[in-house]
Amino acid sequence: MGNMPPGMGEGGSGEGGQNPPGKDGEGGEKKKKKKRFEPRPASSNRQGRRRRRKGPSGLNKIPTVVPNSKCKLRLLKLDRVKDFLLLEAEFIRNHEVFKPHEERDQEEREKLEELRGSPLAVGSLEELIDDNHAIVSSSMGPEYYVNILSSVNQDLLDPGSSVLLHNKTMSVVGILTDDTDPMVSVMKVEKAPLETYADIGGLEDQIQEIKEAVELPLAHPELYEDIGIKPPKGVILYGEPGTGKTLLAKAVANQTSATFLRVVGSELIQKYLGDGPKLVRELFRVADDLSPTIVFIDEIDAVGSKRYESSSGGTREIQRTMLELLNQLDGFDERGDVKVIMATNRIESLDPALIRPGRIDRKIEFPLPDTKTKRHIFNIHTNRMTLADDVDLEKFVMAKDELSGADIKAVCTEAGMLALRERRMKVCQEDFVKAKEKALYRKKGNIPEGLYL
Amino acid sequence: MAPKDKQEVEVTAGADKKKDDAKNKKKKTEEELADTMSDEDKELKERLDTCVNTVMNKDNEDKVTAQIRLNALDVIVTELRTATASMTSVPKPLKFLRPHFASLTELYTVVEKDGDGIDVKMLELRARLADVLAVLAMTMGKPEERESLKFKLKGKKDYDSLESKGAQSKFAEDNLGSWGHEFVRSLAGEIGQEYNQRVIDGADPDQDEPFKDILQMVDVIVPFHVTHNAEAEAVDLLIEVQRLKNLLRLESIDENNFQRICLYLIKTADFMSDPDDLTEMLETAYEIFRKQGQQFDALRVALRMNRTDKETITELLAECKDPLMRKQMAILLGRHRVNHEVEDDDIEGEDAELLNELIGNEKLSEQFLKLAQDLDVMDPKTPEDIYKSHLAETGGFSRRRDTGSANIDSARANLASTFVNALVNTGFGQDKLMTPDNEWLYKNKDHGMMSAAASLGSILLWNVEEGLTQIDKFLYSTEDYVKAGAALAVGILSSGIRNDADPAFALLSEHVEGDVHIMKCAACTGLGIAYAGTAREDVMEMLVPIVEQSGSSPTTMLEVSLAGLALGMIFVGKCDDSVGGTIVQRLMEASDEELDHSHARYLCLGLALLFLGQMEKAEAMIEAIRTIEHKISKYAALLLETCAYTGSGNVLKVQEMMHQCTEHLTEDAEHQMAAVIGIGLITMGEDVGSEMVLRTFDHLLHYCELPIKRAVPLSLAVLNISNPDFAVIDQLSRLSHDPDAEISQNAIMALGIVSAGTNNSRVAGLLRQLSEFYSKEAGHVFCVRIAQGLLHMGKGLLTINPFHSDKMLLNGPALGGMLVLINSCLDLKNTLLDKSHYLLFYLTCAMNPRMLITVDEDINWRPVTVRVGQAVETVGQAGKPKRITGFQTHTTPVLIQAAERAELGTEEVLSISSTLEGIVIIKDNPDYEQEEGK
Repeated sequence: MGNMPPGMGEGGSGEGGQNPPGKDGEGGEKKKKKKRFEPRPASSNRQGRRRRRKGPSGLNKIPTVVPNSKCKLRLLKLDRVKDFLLLEAEFIRNHEVFKPHEERDQEEREKLEELRGSPLAVGSLEELIDDNHAIVSSSMGPEYYVNILSSVNQDLLDPGSSVLLHNKTMSVVGILTDDTDPMVSVMKVEKAPLETYADIGGLEDQIQEIKEAVELPLAHPELYEDIGIKPPKGVILYGEPGTGKTLLAKAVANQTSATFLRVVGSELIQKYLGDGPKLVRELFRVADDLSPTIVFIDEIDAVGSKRYESSSGGTREIQRTMLELLNQLDGFDERGDVKVIMATNRIESLDPALIRPGRIDRKIEFPLPDTKTKRHIFNIHTNRMTLADDVDLEKFVMAKDELSGADIKAVCTEAGMLALRERRMKVCQEDFVKAKEKALYRKKGNIPEGLYL
Repeated sequence: MAPKDKQEVEVTAGADKKKDDAKNKKKKTEEELADTMSDEDKELKERLDTCVNTVMNKDNEDKVTAQIRLNALDVIVTELRTATASMTSVPKPLKFLRPHFASLTELYTVVEKDGDGIDVKMLELRARLADVLAVLAMTMGKPEERESLKFKLKGKKDYDSLESKGAQSKFAEDNLGSWGHEFVRSLAGEIGQEYNQRVIDGADPDQDEPFKDILQMVDVIVPFHVTHNAEAEAVDLLIEVQRLKNLLRLESIDENNFQRICLYLIKTADFMSDPDDLTEMLETAYEIFRKQGQQFDALRVALRMNRTDKETITELLAECKDPLMRKQMAILLGRHRVNHEVEDDDIEGEDAELLNELIGNEKLSEQFLKLAQDLDVMDPKTPEDIYKSHLAETGGFSRRRDTGSANIDSARANLASTFVNALVNTGFGQDKLMTPDNEWLYKNKDHGMMSAAASLGSILLWNVEEGLTQIDKFLYSTEDYVKAGAALAVGILSSGIRNDADPAFALLSEHVEGDVHIMKCAACTGLGIAYAGTAREDVMEMLVPIVEQSGSSPTTMLEVSLAGLALGMIFVGKCDDSVGGTIVQRLMEASDEELDHSHARYLCLGLALLFLGQMEKAEAMIEAIRTIEHKISKYAALLLETCAYTGSGNVLKVQEMMHQCTEHLTEDAEHQMAAVIGIGLITMGEDVGSEMVLRTFDHLLHYCELPIKRAVPLSLAVLNISNPDFAVIDQLSRLSHDPDAEISQNAIMALGIVSAGTNNSRVAGLLRQLSEFYSKEAGHVFCVRIAQGLLHMGKGLLTINPFHSDKMLLNGPALGGMLVLINSCLDLKNTLLDKSHYLLFYLTCAMNPRMLITVDEDINWRPVTVRVGQAVETVGQAGKPKRITGFQTHTTPVLIQAAERAELGTEEVLSISSTLEGIVIIKDNPDYEQEEGK
């Protein structure tokens, strides 16, 4: 809702167009007369929710500029848009100087506060009876047939929306406009993670692929249009644990100026029936509102595993959540600038529908690091450690063990810990050898290796 | 201009930064970095390093001959050219050559000092080196220094001197494109900058000499772009160096790409701030079309440039070899209401009479009626069919009580019904009120009677022969009002139609010269409607004395105003000196009383219409108007200015208009209203501007006083004539409930205009509700009725949108008629709601069937399948993008909505016209092969 002009933002003051200024002081009689003009055309009230979002508020949007390719025409058009915005700014500035609104607004707001009363109850709108009446239910239980105050912006009223109710008369005095699930707002990454591409050892191809598929389409859509293709919608990152999938996603979040939403697959599984799919819907709606957006779903196998016959309600719910996800990824509604990154280490167990081209166009594999990359990763992790002279990392790099990036990090940390334990200021080769043994032992876990010896 | 280079720079800068970061943070040395490189990378780097060293030849070893150095350079060149990396990163060779850039530049400056006196080999080496440096400079030089271009130019010079020495280098040819698209783009960008710099430094842009070197470059780059599907960039570059005319010399423009180039030129022209640039771009497009033998499109461009003079059109017609295209051009002229007379000797072996018939729209009525029959809408409709008051009963119970006592004066209701009847049955030749008998006529009185009689003209629109016989009897009525109405009807009837007998002129002239006031008014209006846009001298001679007459009575002023308006309509956009002089003279001499007259605005409007869309040609007149010492001068000046800049999208003018709106006036704010409407007029027809002003209107509603708010709905209407956009309807519907009577009345009228001729059910519902809501207020009800009439105008077969031919051409008379209505709305109480309601008939000038009919070479119907869908902007896109979306397939005839576009649905036939609108001639496709199995 960020692009509404001042005064249109809140539910209460949305009728700026109708109230001629300077007529407020004339008391109750005027009010009564006003009421007569309150009813508005029925048709505008019975619109679908989605339609409305694109409807009147479309008046305030900035037009999309074609062509997308970089050329003079586009420059001229964008200049034109800029000129008009400057004109608007100038106009508003002039008027604010001429006739400061703040004082009057303040006064009006106080009056409105008075009318609204306090505290306000929160209820949900069950049904709109006519333009001035509605049935609401509050969390306490009973449903009421109540008045809607004229100060409420009726365009925003929808069955099911949360409304503010007067504490005594229960009449509708306001709307809680932001009906976004708080769960979703948590997902937004406000503070960019510190990891950058430089922190990733190797993975050059993967970085390049993810850049092409996710960042470039948001930053330079015209490149794709020039060639005449649609940019990929999303990518899936898969590979052994600890190979840097999440790290790469963090780097993307660090690098991009787009909104970055991150979810873990398991978050999408909710307690109540229908909540999971709803959350997915909300997630993508928010993504659309805040576009350009990158949505990162970690551990997608939590919801995205293959469908199978199941009698358990829980599994079926999870499957429904996935179905919603399928629809959001490539369904009926066109998604704008929303790119999806998924990560999993079990791609073979995912539902084929989820990763078909069109939904997820690119599958990026994260292999275990090769020698060169291992060396790089060792370098990254050890360059802040104080190492003794005898440390020879080459030995570890060349070893044939299957070390993932995370393992290497663990080895380095462990070596540091060992050094600390012995109150040494430097980490020596021995620490590393021990640390590696420990880490590898831990990795192999409980497999009783000795059995086969 | 190709801002690609910027991106490239960013990328490098980014990589740079990253590297720096890494260095600082991790204290990484160069060697360590090298460690992380793969073996191939290392090898490449080494190879390049060696090559660079060889080229440098620091130690001046003798055995390193120029040939060896040249070979080394060749290796570098091949590496650079073949490097295909991802678009996300810098090509490797470029990266590895980066450290050597400075030293190579140094080397170049050293060899450069030698001048031309070196041997051929060295010269070639130098030229090659310049090429390589130019590429490297693209990313490594400082952006504002344009090093890339400098090296390129130096290299070019060396190649030239090589050639003069008889040792032509094999690299001299094809030395641009082979370096890749990105390089060419970046170079093009630098050429633009360089050109501007030289102009600033005092070079004369009209001379070629100071720019010789870069123009040579341009001559290579432009064909390269054109042949590589980058027409937009080619045009951009030429605009940048102000050599658009070079396009005409280009051989690579052929039937495959001229459409794209011209489309780009035409669309870009709209955004040119300088009128000279605009004309030049259109002129170029015009010439290209002519060169490609597309005289029809050339004619469209000529009309876009307001070139309706006889020579241009005759020349184009004569030039056109295809008789079908000539006919199509004649149809376009007719649609644009250009009064062009084709003479027999103009065109060889062609029936000039037929062309004249097409230009004169003589068969319009016939085609329209056939369309109506085909769509099965011939049955006349009564006003009650439109009001549907039986549906309205279903309102809330609170309203039902009032309906019984609703008591509007029946005269007004009858008048409304007359207009609704006239609008709905426009052009069908039959209705249920007027044509059967005279009963309805005599249910009205005075001016009502006049409008009722005049409505016959509307019903029989375009059908001159049939219409005259029906109207004839009223022309001899004893009642002056009936007689006046009949006179007006004759005028309406022949709106835009040319007839050999010229009945309107013949019948109306005596009334103009007569002395009955009402007859004079009617005759003037009738002439104005009949000859709108024709610029007929004889009509002018008749009307000028009326404007010049003086007399203090209000009736005289009324006559003067109406005659002035009619003159404006007839000479719309013609800037005619004598008409302009007459009107402005009259305005200057007028007494205050006369100017206070409510109809004086029409005199101003008449003057303004003269300059419709003529931009700076109106300047002198505006100055003259400003000298009048009366409040109307402000209004007139603004009206004139906005009309002159109609459809130009000129932001500066919008700004001026906005400044007019800053004052908070509650009375004498006529000029502010004109300014608000002006904002709509200026931005109309151009997508970006017209969307942006919607936001502006929001602010106007939010901050301004009543007079400005009153004009906002009208301005919204101007922007969306016959185009019921969801958001705009919503806004208007909100305004139509405003407590201020004039805002709501204007909003209601605006609803009618926005939905005119569309039968839009949403608007119909809204209007029905409004008719109930305002059932007690006579003015509002009248407005609602008119709006309803407009909505169902011609039973939904007509449009009043002044834009046609793919929204490219603005029809002057149509917009003029619209403006009469809009300006009347500024003072509804004294105009439409009073006695001059007959001015509504000016809308007839704007009416046109919104049909698409396909005809064969003899203008007989030939139905084919067409696809009709939402128009998509395709300018500047590569390949052949689809021009419509969400289409449906129909068989012609079909109706086309405002934002829609049609294309042929079959390969079987080809259309002569490039835009499918109105009447389109089709011919068999010679290459068509029937699909097998059919």
